[in-house]
Amino acid sequence: MKTIELLINGATHEVSIEADETLLQVLRNRLDLTGTKKGCDSGGCGCCSVQVDGKVVYSCMMYAAGAAGKAITTIEGLGSGGTALDPLQQAFIEAGAVQCGYCTCGMIMNASELLATTKNPSEDQIRHAIAGNLCRCTGYTKIVDAIKLAATRTAG
Amino acid sequence: MALNLEDYFLPASLQEASTLLQRYGDGAMVVAGGTFVHGLEVRGLLTETVALVDISRLGLRGISESGNGGVSLQALTTLAEVGAAPLISRNPAFGSIGDALQYPPRQILNVGTVGGCVAAAAPLYDLPAAFLALDGQVQASLAARQRAIPLNDFFVGLFESALQRGEIITAIELPAPAARSASAFLKLETNANDLSILNVAVRLTLDKDGKCADSRVILGGGVGETYVRATSAEAALRGQTAGEASFAAAAAAVVDDFEAVEDHRASAAYRRHIAQVYVRRTLGTALARLG
Repeated sequence: MKTIELLINGATHEVSIEADETLLQVLRNRLDLTGTKKGCDSGGCGCCSVQVDGKVVYSCMMYAAGAAGKAITTIEGLGSGGTALDPLQQAFIEAGAVQCGYCTCGMIMNASELLATTKNPSEDQIRHAIAGNLCRCTGYTKIVDAIKLAATRTAG
Repeated sequence: MALNLEDYFLPASLQEASTLLQRYGDGAMVVAGGTFVHGLEVRGLLTETVALVDISRLGLRGISESGNGGVSLQALTTLAEVGAAPLISRNPAFGSIGDALQYPPRQILNVGTVGGCVAAAAPLYDLPAAFLALDGQVQASLAARQRAIPLNDFFVGLFESALQRGEIITAIELPAPAARSASAFLKLETNANDLSILNVAVRLTLDKDGKCADSRVILGGGVGETYVRATSAEAALRGQTAGEASFAAAAAAVVDDFEAVEDHRASAAYRRHIAQVYVRRTLGTALARLG
């Protein structure tokens, strides 16, 4: 075991980890941040997506020890001060983009990077951006609708 | 899952990283973006690894022009950064690089590195095929020694490269493309987050009469333990007018250049067929880029 410091959603967490623990394991099992989901655990489905220094990554493929000192954002860190919903979260609710919900947090963390870099993305850009996130319910149409809705609300 | 892992190191210098790699020998593995290492781990292939050496804090990040129109990509530059670099995207000679970066999802583009995808020495990876078509070379460092290794000599076997123990890739260098050069890349995959079934990267250099002065045809994916340079296809292009007829001849010749893998993802016959189709298409794309 060794102790590292992780900067998550603006707060520093001192956490003891094994050398081979992934960021996903530490978030869920040691810090109880269970909004980040474990899916395939091999970089193929996207439901573990979080942002590191503003870039969306698969937390199941990142060693926690390597994430020390970087700014990590999880779904719990979206929205203002953890109380009001992020425009993407609100749009997912309104567009009915959540079926079983398992992919939702990863989808939102991914779309959040897209909207931060691309104002009013086209449908093609949205679909290309979320290519690394699988919805097992195959509810892509409403997910794309939700991202469009959030984009129109945040572009102005 | 790497049950025997003892430590995760974050060395502060190349020297320190090389020393760790030498100390642990076969028990050490370099981590850059980490996606390849994780891929090995989940397949149970890292059971002998006791030390991970994370080189992501060493700088080595950025893209610059190397004097005469060539480009130097530092080893820890992410795939996303390569895709966003005007030096790459504005030059049709480097078109194959932009093509290869269309396939991985954002989550991989944001962490995967130039040096990592080459060091992996897995012909299933896309970007190295594009680098091979551009006659790229590896810059590698061991203690005070820095040496250049042409990519053509770099890939020795599956997961096996010309790197010596302790040696670390510091950059990939692409020489200045000849005038009237363009390149293109295509990948056959089953879904948006897949390793390649077959990859083709080509580079075309035309003379003033529109004839093929030089070309590279590179195959990746299920073509064996390393990338394949399709010399028969290149020979079929040499001196010929670039166009449908010579591209069809190159496509027909490419089946002589490799032993297609037969597995559950595609039959050897299908891979041979796709190789021909993709050679024709990538050459067409490269020619179109020369406008």
